[in-house]
Amino acid sequence: MARKDGTVRIARLWDTDSRRLTRRSMLRSMAFFALAAQGATACAISEAPPRNASGATNTKASNNVAENRLNFFNWTDYIAKDTIPGFEKESGIGVTYDNFSSNDELEAKIATGAPGYDLVVPSDNFLRRFVRTNLVRPLDHDLLPNLKNLERRFREADYDPGNRFSVPWAWGTTGLAYSRSQLGTEVTGFDAYDLPAARGRSIVLDEARDGMGLGLLALGYDPNTKDAQQIEEATRYLLDLKKKIGQITSDVVEPLTSGQTPLAQVYSGDAFQAKDTNPDLEYVIPEEGGLTYVDLLCVPATAPHAENAHRFIDYILRPDVGAELANTIRYGSANTAAKPMIDKELLDNPMVYPPADVLAKLPFTKDLGPDVEARYADAWTKVKTG
Amino acid sequence: MARRRVPRWLAANLLLLPAGFWLAVFLLVPLALVVEYSFATRDTGPLRVVLPWTTRAYRTALDPAFLPIFGRTLTYAGLTALACLLLGFPLAWFIARHAGRFRTALLAAVLVPFWASYLARIYAWKALLDGEGLVNRLLGLVGLDRDGGFLLTDGAVILGLTYGFLPFMVLPLYVACERFDYRLVEASYDLGHGRVSTFFRVVLPGVWPGVLAGSLLVLVPAAGDFVTPKLLGGVDQSTFGSVIDDQFRGGNNWPLGSAMAVLLLLLVVVVLMLRGRRGEDVL
Repeated sequence: MARKDGTVRIARLWDTDSRRLTRRSMLRSMAFFALAAQGATACAISEAPPRNASGATNTKASNNVAENRLNFFNWTDYIAKDTIPGFEKESGIGVTYDNFSSNDELEAKIATGAPGYDLVVPSDNFLRRFVRTNLVRPLDHDLLPNLKNLERRFREADYDPGNRFSVPWAWGTTGLAYSRSQLGTEVTGFDAYDLPAARGRSIVLDEARDGMGLGLLALGYDPNTKDAQQIEEATRYLLDLKKKIGQITSDVVEPLTSGQTPLAQVYSGDAFQAKDTNPDLEYVIPEEGGLTYVDLLCVPATAPHAENAHRFIDYILRPDVGAELANTIRYGSANTAAKPMIDKELLDNPMVYPPADVLAKLPFTKDLGPDVEARYADAWTKVKTG
Repeated sequence: MARRRVPRWLAANLLLLPAGFWLAVFLLVPLALVVEYSFATRDTGPLRVVLPWTTRAYRTALDPAFLPIFGRTLTYAGLTALACLLLGFPLAWFIARHAGRFRTALLAAVLVPFWASYLARIYAWKALLDGEGLVNRLLGLVGLDRDGGFLLTDGAVILGLTYGFLPFMVLPLYVACERFDYRLVEASYDLGHGRVSTFFRVVLPGVWPGVLAGSLLVLVPAAGDFVTPKLLGGVDQSTFGSVIDDQFRGGNNWPLGSAMAVLLLLLVVVVLMLRGRRGEDVL
């Protein structure tokens, strides 16, 4: 019959014609499995952990596993050719070198119990989160005599005062990248988002603190403010800015290199990477200011070879090693002692090493505590959905 | 010695075991977790969700600020289903009725794009729709180009979704068209109907289950998709799916993301219940 024939059965959970397996018995079984599933997951959620309980008094670092190994987890394309071979030769420690391409990826790995990594390199915003939840161990300063080589700014930095948990690998700034030929003018500040050529095509970073930072800086506020009123004003500013921009995304290198976007808020490292393929691009630190970000070496709490990790950190802090690293990756180096060996042309580049008056407008992203950080995250959701 | 028989009720349940296990592991446990997370308190650290239980996430998710996104998501999904139907029906009809021995090859051709990663194909659309892309330049020849291209527009998102979900529409429609008794059309002509009324009064009712099945198969995933609006859309194209994605990644608010996922699920269930009695034969 036409009606029956015309019936298309894409999926059937149960056959109503069969007597043995009635709808009711099926539902009963499903209810049973649902309960079982609920039981299996009931233990998945626990109480909030004590905040900032990382005041572990014992910082003495030793290897849990007595072997000459070091498992190092770093960003892709972020090391000098001789960094690891040099360390291996000097120390006799074999290094396993793995790469990740986002902080989320790193967090996913180490939050689930760190598959044996001894040394990882999160950005400062993620380090703050790791510290808050005891994912990293305090550093043993007795094993790091070269710590004195660090620039003072990085020894007192807001994200980790006194280098209790981390040592800088490299640092950069959050600013604007733009195509001079497309915009037809120099960019000096956030008013570039008003340029007709940028309308509907520009990008703001999809990262709560950086995006909100743009709004706060544009209004002349401190990007580390805790003031709810100022955060609220920045939210409104950004909702207004949203009408002029094209996208909110952290995926900026591809649209910049292809010329699809003429203006984007970027991390300086990404800007230089895009500039390698598209020489038309320029990077600028807006006159309103920006933020300094730092990628940091730290040791996961579960590291099997913590002592070896310390030896590597101390090795990186050596002037010659630090200089070679800085010359290769072309990011800012936090190593004062290495400065004399860093390429002059790099040191003179104000976009890599901004002069003191500009640096004053480039604070680190402070850890504002869980409540204020949540306020930033919610304001950002508002911006994105509003 | 007589073999002891397994009691009937036990046998039935034992037979259910593999399927039940599959359902539990891949459907019920994840679903239970989502529901559970949606009532938990958010943690800004890597634990993400902690006790105590609360309905705060639902109160946030039902905030009127999210209403436009809700509406946009449904509009995208609805228009996508409609576009898939308009494109898919002629194709399915042609393959089922007129393709002859090329039928299998043509059906395979509908599926072949599925072999490549969806992400890669969406990136291809990005390049095509860009201001300097092929689409804009071709349209430029007839003066229909748009400054900056069609990327980051509602149209781009609907196009991407339509492209991505078209096979879900074509396959059930094909089955329906294939089973459709063509003699009914001849009878309709004999009895004095014209082409148009034959289509609406004979063909469409005949293949209606296929239309419903295809529409649901497109509507449901299109409503939940977040990759397409993220990559082809701009600041004003965020959908329910992309907001959920934000809560799980950058926003670090798993309870809110879970609550929104549950609401989306309920919405889909409502749609499924509205499918009507004929639809019950379908899914």
